[in-house]
Amino acid sequence: MNPIDVKALSKSYGDVVGIDSLTFSVKPGEVFGFLGPNGAGKTTAIRTLLGLQSPTSGKAHVLGASITDESELLEAKTRIGYLPSDLAFNESVSGKRVLDYHASIKGDSRRAELLEIFTPPIDRPIREYSTGNEQMLGIVQAFMHDPDLVIMDEPTSGLDPLKQERFNQFITNERDRGTTIFFSSHVLSEVRRVCDRVGILRDGALVGLETIESLLNQGGKRVQIQTPDTIESQIEALDGVFSVISFGETVQFTYTGTYNNLISELQQYDIVDINISEPPLEDIFMHYYGSETEPDTETEAAHV
Amino acid sequence: MFETVQYEVQRRQRGTIALTVGIAAVAAFFVALFPSFSGSGIDIDQMLEAWPPALQEAFGIETLATIEGFLAVELYNFVWVIVLGLYFAYSAASVIADDIERDRMDLLLSLPVSRSQLLFEKVGSLLAPIVLINFGVAIAVYASILAIGESIALSRLVMVHLLSVPYLLACAAIGLILSVTVTRADVGKRLALAVIFVLYLLDSIAATVDGLGFVRYVSPTYYYNPTEVLVHGTYAIGDAAILLVMTTVLLGIARSIFVRRDI
Repeated sequence: MNPIDVKALSKSYGDVVGIDSLTFSVKPGEVFGFLGPNGAGKTTAIRTLLGLQSPTSGKAHVLGASITDESELLEAKTRIGYLPSDLAFNESVSGKRVLDYHASIKGDSRRAELLEIFTPPIDRPIREYSTGNEQMLGIVQAFMHDPDLVIMDEPTSGLDPLKQERFNQFITNERDRGTTIFFSSHVLSEVRRVCDRVGILRDGALVGLETIESLLNQGGKRVQIQTPDTIESQIEALDGVFSVISFGETVQFTYTGTYNNLISELQQYDIVDINISEPPLEDIFMHYYGSETEPDTETEAAHV
Repeated sequence: MFETVQYEVQRRQRGTIALTVGIAAVAAFFVALFPSFSGSGIDIDQMLEAWPPALQEAFGIETLATIEGFLAVELYNFVWVIVLGLYFAYSAASVIADDIERDRMDLLLSLPVSRSQLLFEKVGSLLAPIVLINFGVAIAVYASILAIGESIALSRLVMVHLLSVPYLLACAAIGLILSVTVTRADVGKRLALAVIFVLYLLDSIAATVDGLGFVRYVSPTYYYNPTEVLVHGTYAIGDAAILLVMTTVLLGIARSIFVRRDI
Protein backbone atom coordinates (compact mmCIF):
# COMPACT_ATOMS: atom_id res chain seq x y z
CA MET A 1 0.00 0.00 0.00
CA ASN A 2 1.39 3.36 -0.99
CA PRO A 3 1.13 6.22 1.52
CA ILE A 4 -0.42 8.36 -1.21
CA ASP A 5 -2.32 6.99 -4.20
CA VAL A 6 -4.00 9.44 -6.53
CA LYS A 7 -6.13 8.42 -9.52
CA ALA A 8 -7.52 10.92 -12.02
CA LEU A 9 -8.12 13.42 -9.24
CA SER A 10 -9.74 16.68 -10.39
CA LYS A 11 -11.00 19.72 -8.59
CA SER A 12 -12.63 22.68 -10.28
CA TYR A 13 -14.24 25.78 -8.86
CA GLY A 14 -16.97 26.53 -11.35
CA ASP A 15 -15.12 27.12 -14.61
CA VAL A 16 -11.75 27.45 -12.97
CA VAL A 17 -9.70 24.26 -12.97
CA GLY A 18 -7.72 23.77 -9.77
CA ILE A 19 -6.24 20.38 -10.56
CA ASP A 20 -6.89 18.37 -13.67
CA SER A 21 -6.93 14.57 -13.55
CA LEU A 22 -3.85 14.01 -11.41
CA THR A 23 -2.52 10.46 -11.21
CA PHE A 24 0.52 9.55 -9.14
CA SER A 25 1.69 7.55 -6.15
CA VAL A 26 4.11 8.30 -3.37
CA LYS A 27 6.00 5.21 -2.21
CA PRO A 28 6.71 4.30 1.40
CA GLY A 29 9.76 6.02 2.82
CA GLU A 30 10.26 8.32 -0.14
CA VAL A 31 10.67 12.06 -0.27
CA PHE A 32 8.41 13.28 -3.03
CA GLY A 33 8.59 16.82 -4.31
CA PHE A 34 5.61 18.49 -5.85
CA LEU A 35 6.93 21.19 -8.11
CA GLY A 36 5.41 24.05 -9.94
CA PRO A 37 5.10 27.80 -9.98
CA ASN A 38 2.51 29.61 -7.89
CA GLY A 39 -0.97 28.91 -9.15
CA ALA A 40 -0.08 25.56 -10.70
CA GLY A 41 -2.45 23.73 -8.33
CA LYS A 42 -0.04 22.41 -5.68
CA THR A 43 -2.03 23.74 -2.73
CA THR A 44 -5.33 22.66 -4.28
CA ALA A 45 -3.98 19.12 -4.65
CA ILE A 46 -2.70 19.00 -1.07
CA ARG A 47 -5.88 20.44 0.42
CA THR A 48 -7.98 17.97 -1.56
CA LEU A 49 -5.82 15.09 -0.32
CA LEU A 50 -6.47 16.16 3.27
CA GLY A 51 -10.22 16.30 2.79
CA LEU A 52 -10.43 20.06 3.23
CA GLN A 53 -12.31 20.21 -0.04
CA SER A 54 -14.04 17.45 -1.92
CA PRO A 55 -12.74 16.42 -5.34
CA THR A 56 -14.89 17.12 -8.40
CA SER A 57 -13.97 13.68 -9.75
CA GLY A 58 -11.39 10.96 -9.30
CA LYS A 59 -10.12 9.09 -6.28
CA ALA A 60 -7.29 9.31 -3.82
CA HIS A 61 -6.12 7.33 -0.81
CA VAL A 62 -3.90 8.62 1.96
CA LEU A 63 -2.38 5.91 4.17
CA GLY A 64 -5.05 3.61 2.76
CA ALA A 65 -7.94 5.91 3.66
CA SER A 66 -10.23 7.24 0.98
CA ILE A 67 -10.13 11.04 1.07
CA THR A 68 -13.89 11.24 0.65
CA ASP A 69 -14.63 9.01 3.66
CA GLU A 70 -14.36 11.19 6.76
CA SER A 71 -14.11 8.39 9.31
CA GLU A 72 -11.42 6.52 7.34
CA LEU A 73 -9.52 9.74 6.85
CA LEU A 74 -9.79 10.63 10.56
CA GLU A 75 -8.14 7.38 11.52
CA ALA A 76 -5.35 8.07 9.00
CA LYS A 77 -4.90 11.62 10.27
CA THR A 78 -3.55 10.31 13.58
CA ARG A 79 -0.53 9.23 11.50
CA ILE A 80 -0.29 12.27 9.23
CA GLY A 81 1.56 15.49 9.87
CA TYR A 82 0.62 18.60 7.92
CA LEU A 83 2.19 21.98 7.38
CA PRO A 84 -0.06 24.32 5.38
CA SER A 85 1.32 27.03 3.12
CA ASP A 86 -0.60 29.82 4.83
CA LEU A 87 0.21 28.93 8.37
CA ALA A 88 -1.57 30.74 11.20
CA PHE A 89 -2.27 30.28 14.89
CA ASN A 90 -4.36 32.17 17.43
CA GLU A 91 -2.37 35.34 18.04
CA SER A 92 -3.01 35.67 21.75
CA VAL A 93 -1.81 32.28 22.94
CA SER A 94 1.77 31.09 23.42
CA GLY A 95 3.48 28.63 21.11
CA LYS A 96 3.53 26.19 23.99
CA ARG A 97 -0.25 26.41 24.41
CA VAL A 98 -0.73 25.70 20.69
CA LEU A 99 1.54 22.65 20.89
CA ASP A 100 -0.25 21.49 24.08
CA TYR A 101 -3.59 21.75 22.30
CA HIS A 102 -2.42 19.82 19.26
CA ALA A 103 -0.66 17.31 21.51
CA SER A 104 -3.85 16.68 23.48
CA ILE A 105 -5.46 15.50 20.25
CA LYS A 106 -2.68 13.72 18.37
CA GLY A 107 0.24 13.21 20.79
CA ASP A 108 3.73 14.72 21.01
CA SER A 109 6.26 11.94 21.63
CA ARG A 110 8.96 13.82 19.70
CA ARG A 111 8.24 17.38 20.78
CA ALA A 112 11.32 17.91 22.97
CA GLU A 113 13.68 16.49 20.36
CA LEU A 114 12.19 18.69 17.61
CA LEU A 115 12.38 21.81 19.73
CA GLU A 116 16.13 21.31 19.90
CA ILE A 117 16.40 21.45 16.11
CA PHE A 118 13.75 24.09 15.46
CA THR A 119 13.66 26.78 18.07
CA PRO A 120 10.54 28.95 18.07
CA PRO A 121 10.22 30.97 21.32
CA ILE A 122 7.41 28.77 22.64
CA ASP A 123 6.78 30.76 25.82
CA ARG A 124 6.00 33.95 23.93
CA PRO A 125 2.60 34.74 22.45
CA ILE A 126 2.25 33.99 18.73
CA ARG A 127 1.62 37.64 17.92
CA GLU A 128 5.28 38.34 18.66
CA TYR A 129 6.49 35.63 16.29
CA SER A 130 8.37 36.35 13.08
CA THR A 131 7.32 34.43 9.96
CA GLY A 132 10.30 32.13 10.46
CA ASN A 133 9.31 31.39 14.05
CA GLU A 134 5.75 30.58 13.06
CA GLN A 135 7.07 28.32 10.34
CA MET A 136 9.29 26.49 12.82
CA LEU A 137 6.36 26.05 15.20
CA GLY A 138 4.45 24.64 12.24
CA ILE A 139 7.23 22.18 11.47
CA VAL A 140 7.38 21.05 15.11
CA GLN A 141 3.64 20.39 15.25
CA ALA A 142 3.78 18.55 11.91
CA PHE A 143 6.36 16.05 13.16
CA MET A 144 5.83 15.89 16.92
CA HIS A 145 3.39 12.96 16.95
CA ASP A 146 5.86 10.87 14.95
CA PRO A 147 3.63 10.53 11.87
CA ASP A 148 4.17 7.99 9.09
CA LEU A 149 3.38 10.54 6.41
CA VAL A 150 4.12 14.25 6.46
CA ILE A 151 2.54 16.57 3.93
CA MET A 152 4.04 20.03 3.67
CA ASP A 153 3.09 22.97 1.48
CA GLU A 154 6.11 25.19 0.79
CA PRO A 155 7.84 24.20 4.04
CA THR A 156 10.90 26.44 3.75
CA SER A 157 9.07 29.66 3.01
CA GLY A 158 9.95 32.21 5.65
CA LEU A 159 12.96 30.28 6.95
CA ASP A 160 16.35 31.98 6.81
CA PRO A 161 19.07 30.16 4.78
CA LEU A 162 20.63 28.65 7.89
CA LYS A 163 17.30 27.23 9.05
CA GLN A 164 16.55 26.04 5.51
CA GLU A 165 19.79 24.13 5.55
CA ARG A 166 18.88 22.63 8.91
CA PHE A 167 15.45 21.73 7.56
CA ASN A 168 16.90 19.98 4.51
CA GLN A 169 19.24 17.99 6.72
CA PHE A 170 16.31 17.14 8.98
CA ILE A 171 14.22 15.89 6.06
CA THR A 172 17.05 13.63 4.92
CA ASN A 173 17.27 12.16 8.44
CA GLU A 174 13.51 11.71 8.56
CA ARG A 175 13.59 9.73 5.35
CA ASP A 176 16.28 7.52 6.86
CA ARG A 177 13.92 6.90 9.79
CA GLY A 178 11.33 5.69 7.27
CA THR A 179 8.96 8.65 7.27
CA THR A 180 7.28 9.32 3.94
CA ILE A 181 7.44 12.96 2.99
CA PHE A 182 5.39 14.77 0.41
CA PHE A 183 6.06 18.43 -0.07
CA SER A 184 5.43 21.16 -2.54
CA SER A 185 7.94 23.74 -3.56
CA HIS A 186 8.87 26.17 -6.22
CA VAL A 187 12.48 26.27 -5.07
CA LEU A 188 14.18 23.86 -7.43
CA SER A 189 17.54 23.66 -5.72
CA GLU A 190 15.98 22.50 -2.48
CA VAL A 191 13.91 19.87 -4.22
CA ARG A 192 16.99 18.58 -5.94
CA ARG A 193 18.83 18.23 -2.66
CA VAL A 194 16.25 16.36 -0.64
CA CYS A 195 13.81 14.65 -3.01
CA ASP A 196 13.91 11.16 -4.45
CA ARG A 197 11.23 11.86 -7.02
CA VAL A 198 9.37 14.88 -8.28
CA GLY A 199 6.02 15.48 -9.86
CA ILE A 200 5.88 18.57 -12.01
CA LEU A 201 2.65 20.46 -12.07
CA ARG A 202 1.56 22.95 -14.67
CA ASP A 203 -1.84 24.59 -14.92
CA GLY A 204 -3.29 21.94 -12.63
CA ALA A 205 -2.01 18.98 -14.66
CA LEU A 206 0.92 16.69 -13.97
CA VAL A 207 3.38 17.24 -16.83
CA GLY A 208 6.28 15.23 -15.48
CA LEU A 209 6.92 12.48 -12.97
CA GLU A 210 10.62 11.69 -12.69
CA THR A 211 13.36 10.64 -10.38
CA ILE A 212 15.73 13.50 -9.68
CA GLU A 213 18.47 11.59 -11.52
CA SER A 214 16.59 11.18 -14.75
CA LEU A 215 15.42 14.75 -14.52
CA LEU A 216 19.05 15.85 -14.42
CA ASN A 217 20.14 13.40 -17.16
CA GLN A 218 17.45 14.61 -19.49
CA GLY A 219 18.74 18.08 -19.15
CA GLY A 220 22.17 17.24 -20.54
CA LYS A 221 25.19 19.28 -19.48
CA ARG A 222 25.89 22.93 -19.37
CA VAL A 223 29.11 23.71 -21.27
CA GLN A 224 31.03 26.97 -21.07
CA ILE A 225 33.96 27.54 -23.41
CA GLN A 226 36.33 30.45 -23.33
CA THR A 227 38.08 31.05 -26.64
CA PRO A 228 39.38 34.03 -28.66
CA ASP A 229 37.99 32.39 -31.82
CA THR A 230 34.49 33.05 -33.08
CA ILE A 231 32.85 29.63 -32.83
CA GLU A 232 29.23 30.33 -32.04
CA SER A 233 27.78 29.33 -35.43
CA GLN A 234 29.90 26.16 -35.65
CA ILE A 235 28.79 25.11 -32.19
CA GLU A 236 25.17 25.76 -33.02
CA ALA A 237 25.48 23.41 -36.00
CA LEU A 238 26.48 20.49 -33.75
CA ASP A 239 23.98 17.75 -32.86
CA GLY A 240 22.54 18.02 -29.34
CA VAL A 241 23.36 21.68 -28.79
CA PHE A 242 20.70 24.00 -27.38
CA SER A 243 20.34 27.50 -26.07
CA VAL A 244 23.64 28.95 -27.21
CA ILE A 245 24.58 32.26 -25.66
CA SER A 246 27.89 34.07 -25.99
CA PHE A 247 29.21 36.82 -23.82
CA GLY A 248 32.67 38.27 -24.44
CA GLU A 249 35.05 35.38 -25.17
CA THR A 250 32.73 32.83 -23.59
CA VAL A 251 30.18 30.64 -25.32
CA GLN A 252 27.66 28.83 -23.18
CA PHE A 253 25.27 26.09 -24.28
CA THR A 254 23.34 23.04 -23.16
CA TYR A 255 24.70 19.80 -24.60
CA THR A 256 22.93 16.45 -24.80
CA GLY A 257 25.22 14.73 -27.34
CA THR A 258 28.31 12.58 -26.73
CA TYR A 259 31.55 14.00 -25.35
CA ASN A 260 33.65 12.54 -28.23
CA ASN A 261 31.82 14.58 -30.85
CA LEU A 262 32.15 17.70 -28.80
CA ILE A 263 35.86 17.21 -28.14
CA SER A 264 36.76 16.48 -31.76
CA GLU A 265 34.92 19.62 -32.80
CA LEU A 266 36.67 21.73 -30.17
CA GLN A 267 40.17 20.46 -31.20
CA GLN A 268 40.18 22.91 -34.10
CA TYR A 269 40.04 25.95 -31.85
CA ASP A 270 42.18 27.75 -29.39
CA ILE A 271 40.47 26.86 -26.07
CA VAL A 272 41.45 28.97 -23.06
CA ASP A 273 39.08 27.37 -20.58
CA ILE A 274 36.33 24.80 -20.58
CA ASN A 275 33.75 24.09 -17.92
CA ILE A 276 31.22 21.26 -18.09
CA SER A 277 28.63 21.17 -15.31
CA GLU A 278 25.16 19.96 -14.46
CA PRO A 279 22.60 22.42 -15.67
CA PRO A 280 20.57 24.29 -13.10
CA LEU A 281 17.15 22.73 -12.63
CA GLU A 282 15.64 25.95 -13.93
CA ASP A 283 17.01 25.07 -17.34
CA ILE A 284 15.63 21.56 -17.19
CA PHE A 285 12.30 23.01 -16.33
CA MET A 286 12.19 24.85 -19.58
CA HIS A 287 11.28 21.45 -21.08
CA TYR A 288 8.08 21.53 -19.05
CA TYR A 289 7.34 25.17 -18.85
CA GLY A 290 9.34 26.52 -21.77
CA SER A 291 8.08 28.73 -24.52
CA GLU A 292 4.43 27.68 -24.23
CA THR A 293 3.95 29.39 -20.93
CA GLU A 294 3.82 32.87 -22.35
CA PRO A 295 1.06 32.44 -24.95
CA ASP A 296 -0.95 30.50 -22.35
CA THR A 297 -0.96 33.39 -19.94
CA GLU A 298 -1.90 35.71 -22.72
CA THR A 299 -4.87 33.63 -23.82
CA GLU A 300 -6.04 33.39 -20.22
CA ALA A 301 -5.76 37.11 -19.86
CA ALA A 302 -7.69 37.60 -23.07
CA HIS A 303 -10.55 35.44 -21.79
CA VAL A 304 -10.81 37.54 -18.67
CA MET B 1 -12.89 14.67 23.68
CA PHE B 2 -13.23 18.28 24.83
CA GLU B 3 -9.64 19.26 24.00
CA THR B 4 -10.98 22.04 21.80
CA VAL B 5 -13.47 23.17 24.44
CA GLN B 6 -10.68 23.38 26.96
CA TYR B 7 -8.43 25.29 24.58
CA GLU B 8 -11.12 27.75 23.53
CA VAL B 9 -12.34 28.35 27.10
CA GLN B 10 -8.80 29.04 28.28
CA ARG B 11 -8.14 31.27 25.32
CA ARG B 12 -11.19 33.37 26.17
CA GLN B 13 -10.65 33.25 29.92
CA ARG B 14 -9.55 36.83 30.34
CA GLY B 15 -12.26 38.24 28.13
CA THR B 16 -14.91 36.20 29.94
CA ILE B 17 -13.79 37.38 33.35
CA ALA B 18 -13.58 41.00 32.19
CA LEU B 19 -17.07 40.79 30.74
CA THR B 20 -18.46 39.22 33.91
CA VAL B 21 -16.89 41.85 36.13
CA GLY B 22 -18.06 44.63 33.80
CA ILE B 23 -21.68 43.49 33.69
CA ALA B 24 -21.68 42.78 37.42
CA ALA B 25 -20.56 46.36 37.97
CA VAL B 26 -23.31 47.70 35.70
CA ALA B 27 -25.85 45.54 37.54
CA ALA B 28 -24.68 46.80 40.91
CA PHE B 29 -24.89 50.35 39.59
CA PHE B 30 -28.49 49.87 38.46
CA VAL B 31 -29.43 48.38 41.82
CA ALA B 32 -27.74 51.30 43.59
CA LEU B 33 -29.88 53.70 41.53
CA PHE B 34 -33.12 52.08 42.64
CA PRO B 35 -33.55 53.78 46.07
CA SER B 36 -33.29 57.28 44.60
CA PHE B 37 -35.79 56.17 41.96
CA SER B 38 -38.40 54.73 44.28
CA GLY B 39 -37.82 57.32 46.96
CA SER B 40 -38.29 60.31 44.67
CA GLY B 41 -42.01 60.54 45.49
CA ILE B 42 -43.02 60.48 41.83
CA ASP B 43 -45.49 57.82 40.71
CA ILE B 44 -43.35 56.48 37.94
CA ASP B 45 -45.78 53.76 36.96
CA GLN B 46 -48.46 56.34 36.27
CA MET B 47 -46.03 58.15 34.00
CA LEU B 48 -45.13 54.89 32.23
CA GLU B 49 -48.76 54.23 31.42
CA ALA B 50 -48.66 57.25 29.17
CA TRP B 51 -45.90 55.60 27.10
CA PRO B 52 -46.83 54.01 23.78
CA PRO B 53 -47.66 50.31 24.26
CA ALA B 54 -45.02 49.32 21.69
CA LEU B 55 -42.33 50.95 23.78
CA GLN B 56 -43.61 49.33 26.96
CA GLU B 57 -43.55 46.00 25.19
CA ALA B 58 -40.11 46.54 23.73
CA PHE B 59 -38.56 47.24 27.10
CA GLY B 60 -40.72 44.79 29.02
CA ILE B 61 -41.94 47.63 31.19
CA GLU B 62 -44.63 46.75 33.68
CA THR B 63 -43.52 48.55 36.76
CA LEU B 64 -40.48 50.43 37.90
CA ALA B 65 -41.77 50.81 41.43
CA THR B 66 -40.48 47.45 42.66
CA ILE B 67 -36.92 46.23 42.55
CA GLU B 68 -38.06 43.24 40.43
CA GLY B 69 -39.78 45.40 37.85
CA PHE B 70 -36.92 47.85 37.88
CA LEU B 71 -34.28 45.18 37.28
CA ALA B 72 -36.39 43.47 34.62
CA VAL B 73 -36.42 46.67 32.61
CA GLU B 74 -33.01 48.16 33.30
CA LEU B 75 -30.89 45.05 33.49
CA TYR B 76 -32.52 41.95 32.05
CA ASN B 77 -34.58 43.26 29.15
CA PHE B 78 -31.73 45.44 28.11
CA VAL B 79 -28.43 43.75 29.01
CA TRP B 80 -29.57 40.13 28.79
CA VAL B 81 -32.06 40.16 25.95
CA ILE B 82 -30.33 42.72 23.76
CA VAL B 83 -26.66 43.13 24.71
CA LEU B 84 -25.82 39.53 25.58
CA GLY B 85 -28.06 38.16 22.86
CA LEU B 86 -26.11 40.22 20.35
CA TYR B 87 -22.79 39.38 22.00
CA PHE B 88 -23.25 35.61 21.84
CA ALA B 89 -24.62 35.68 18.31
CA TYR B 90 -21.60 37.78 17.34
CA SER B 91 -19.14 35.48 19.14
CA ALA B 92 -20.66 32.37 17.59
CA ALA B 93 -20.54 33.98 14.16
CA SER B 94 -16.80 34.20 14.49
CA VAL B 95 -15.98 30.68 15.73
CA ILE B 96 -15.69 29.00 12.34
CA ALA B 97 -15.52 31.94 9.93
CA ASP B 98 -12.58 33.56 11.73
CA ASP B 99 -10.55 30.37 11.66
CA ILE B 100 -11.23 29.95 7.96
CA GLU B 101 -10.53 33.56 7.08
CA ARG B 102 -7.36 33.70 9.18
CA ASP B 103 -6.03 30.46 7.67
CA ARG B 104 -6.20 28.52 10.92
CA MET B 105 -8.83 26.03 9.81
CA ASP B 106 -6.49 24.05 7.54
CA LEU B 107 -4.33 23.05 10.44
CA LEU B 108 -7.27 22.34 12.75
CA LEU B 109 -8.89 20.04 10.23
CA SER B 110 -5.62 18.19 9.69
CA LEU B 111 -5.97 17.01 13.30
CA PRO B 112 -7.76 13.71 13.85
CA VAL B 113 -10.99 15.46 14.88
CA SER B 114 -14.19 15.26 12.86
CA ARG B 115 -15.70 18.45 11.53
CA SER B 116 -18.85 17.90 13.61
CA GLN B 117 -16.86 17.50 16.78
CA LEU B 118 -14.77 20.58 16.06
CA LEU B 119 -17.89 22.62 15.32
CA PHE B 120 -19.77 21.52 18.43
CA GLU B 121 -16.76 21.90 20.69
CA LYS B 122 -16.07 25.40 19.36
CA VAL B 123 -19.62 26.61 19.84
CA GLY B 124 -19.95 24.60 23.05
CA SER B 125 -17.04 26.53 24.52
CA LEU B 126 -19.38 29.56 24.57
CA LEU B 127 -21.27 27.83 27.38
CA ALA B 128 -18.45 28.80 29.73
CA PRO B 129 -18.97 32.57 29.40
CA ILE B 130 -22.76 32.07 29.39
CA VAL B 131 -22.61 30.22 32.70
CA LEU B 132 -19.96 32.41 34.29
CA ILE B 133 -21.66 35.70 33.42
CA ASN B 134 -25.01 34.44 34.73
CA PHE B 135 -23.46 33.13 37.91
CA GLY B 136 -21.28 36.16 38.59
CA VAL B 137 -23.94 38.74 37.88
CA ALA B 138 -26.62 36.86 39.87
CA ILE B 139 -24.39 37.03 42.90
CA ALA B 140 -23.59 40.70 42.31
CA VAL B 141 -27.29 41.54 41.92
CA TYR B 142 -28.32 39.65 45.04
CA ALA B 143 -25.54 41.15 47.12
CA SER B 144 -26.24 44.69 46.00
CA ILE B 145 -29.99 44.31 46.63
CA LEU B 146 -29.24 43.25 50.18
CA ALA B 147 -26.78 46.11 50.47
CA ILE B 148 -29.45 48.73 49.68
CA GLY B 149 -31.78 47.13 52.20
CA GLU B 150 -34.24 45.71 49.67
CA SER B 151 -35.14 42.09 49.14
CA ILE B 152 -35.91 39.85 46.18
CA ALA B 153 -37.25 36.31 45.92
CA LEU B 154 -34.10 34.27 45.36
CA SER B 155 -35.98 31.72 43.25
CA ARG B 156 -37.06 34.42 40.80
CA LEU B 157 -33.53 35.73 40.52
CA VAL B 158 -32.17 32.24 39.94
CA MET B 159 -34.83 31.50 37.34
CA VAL B 160 -34.34 34.71 35.38
CA HIS B 161 -30.72 33.70 34.96
CA LEU B 162 -31.37 30.01 34.38
CA LEU B 163 -34.00 30.65 31.73
CA SER B 164 -31.66 33.02 29.92
CA VAL B 165 -29.28 30.16 29.15
CA PRO B 166 -31.50 28.56 26.45
CA TYR B 167 -32.14 32.04 25.05
CA LEU B 168 -28.46 32.87 24.77
CA LEU B 169 -27.76 29.43 23.29
CA ALA B 170 -30.38 30.05 20.61
CA CYS B 171 -28.74 33.40 19.79
CA ALA B 172 -25.37 31.64 19.55
CA ALA B 173 -26.86 28.99 17.26
CA ILE B 174 -28.14 31.72 14.92
CA GLY B 175 -24.63 33.19 14.85
CA LEU B 176 -23.17 29.77 14.13
CA ILE B 177 -25.36 29.30 11.06
CA LEU B 178 -23.92 32.52 9.67
CA SER B 179 -20.42 31.48 10.66
CA VAL B 180 -20.53 28.30 8.58
CA THR B 181 -22.24 29.99 5.64
CA VAL B 182 -20.39 33.22 4.93
CA THR B 183 -16.91 33.44 3.47
CA ARG B 184 -15.90 36.58 5.32
CA ALA B 185 -16.00 36.58 9.09
CA ASP B 186 -16.76 40.28 9.32
CA VAL B 187 -19.84 39.89 7.19
CA GLY B 188 -21.01 36.97 9.32
CA LYS B 189 -20.55 38.90 12.55
CA ARG B 190 -22.39 41.95 11.30
CA LEU B 191 -25.19 39.83 9.88
CA ALA B 192 -25.50 38.04 13.22
CA LEU B 193 -25.95 41.37 14.99
CA ALA B 194 -28.48 42.48 12.40
CA VAL B 195 -30.48 39.25 12.55
CA ILE B 196 -30.77 39.24 16.35
CA PHE B 197 -31.74 42.88 16.40
CA VAL B 198 -34.33 42.47 13.66
CA LEU B 199 -35.81 39.45 15.45
CA TYR B 200 -36.01 41.50 18.64
CA LEU B 201 -37.77 44.33 16.82
CA LEU B 202 -40.13 41.90 15.10
CA ASP B 203 -41.11 40.46 18.45
CA SER B 204 -41.68 43.91 19.95
CA ILE B 205 -43.61 45.34 17.03
CA ALA B 206 -45.68 42.26 16.23
CA ALA B 207 -46.84 42.15 19.84
CA THR B 208 -48.78 45.36 19.45
CA VAL B 209 -50.02 44.96 15.88
CA ASP B 210 -53.24 43.02 15.42
CA GLY B 211 -52.98 40.00 13.17
CA LEU B 212 -49.18 39.95 13.25
CA GLY B 213 -48.85 38.11 16.53
CA PHE B 214 -47.68 34.92 14.85
CA VAL B 215 -44.53 36.65 13.60
CA ARG B 216 -43.30 36.73 17.18
CA TYR B 217 -42.95 32.96 17.28
CA VAL B 218 -39.83 33.00 15.10
CA SER B 219 -37.94 35.28 17.45
CA PRO B 220 -35.99 33.79 20.37
CA THR B 221 -36.76 36.95 22.35
CA TYR B 222 -40.43 35.87 22.47
CA TYR B 223 -39.49 32.83 24.55
CA TYR B 224 -37.51 34.62 27.23
CA ASN B 225 -39.41 37.16 29.27
CA PRO B 226 -37.51 38.51 32.30
CA THR B 227 -40.46 40.69 33.38
CA GLU B 228 -42.75 37.66 33.67
CA VAL B 229 -40.19 35.80 35.72
CA LEU B 230 -39.21 38.64 38.05
CA VAL B 231 -42.50 40.52 38.48
CA HIS B 232 -44.99 37.65 38.35
CA GLY B 233 -42.88 34.66 39.23
CA THR B 234 -44.14 32.77 36.15
CA TYR B 235 -41.54 30.42 34.77
CA ALA B 236 -42.19 29.52 31.14
CA ILE B 237 -40.43 26.15 31.12
CA GLY B 238 -42.18 25.25 27.87
CA ASP B 239 -40.72 28.34 26.21
CA ALA B 240 -37.26 27.37 27.40
CA ALA B 241 -37.81 23.94 25.89
CA ILE B 242 -38.79 25.56 22.59
CA LEU B 243 -35.55 27.56 22.68
CA LEU B 244 -33.56 24.38 23.26
CA VAL B 245 -35.31 22.68 20.35
CA MET B 246 -34.65 25.75 18.20
CA THR B 247 -30.96 25.61 19.22
CA THR B 248 -30.71 21.91 18.43
CA VAL B 249 -32.28 22.34 15.00
CA LEU B 250 -30.01 25.28 14.17
CA LEU B 251 -26.93 23.37 15.32
CA GLY B 252 -27.99 20.45 13.14
CA ILE B 253 -28.31 22.74 10.13
CA ALA B 254 -24.94 24.37 10.86
CA ARG B 255 -23.37 20.93 11.11
CA SER B 256 -24.75 19.70 7.82
CA ILE B 257 -23.51 22.84 6.09
CA PHE B 258 -20.06 22.67 7.67
CA VAL B 259 -19.34 18.98 7.01
CA ARG B 260 -20.08 19.39 3.30
CA ARG B 261 -18.34 22.66 2.81
CA ASP B 262 -15.10 23.18 0.90
CA ILE B 263 -12.74 25.05 3.16
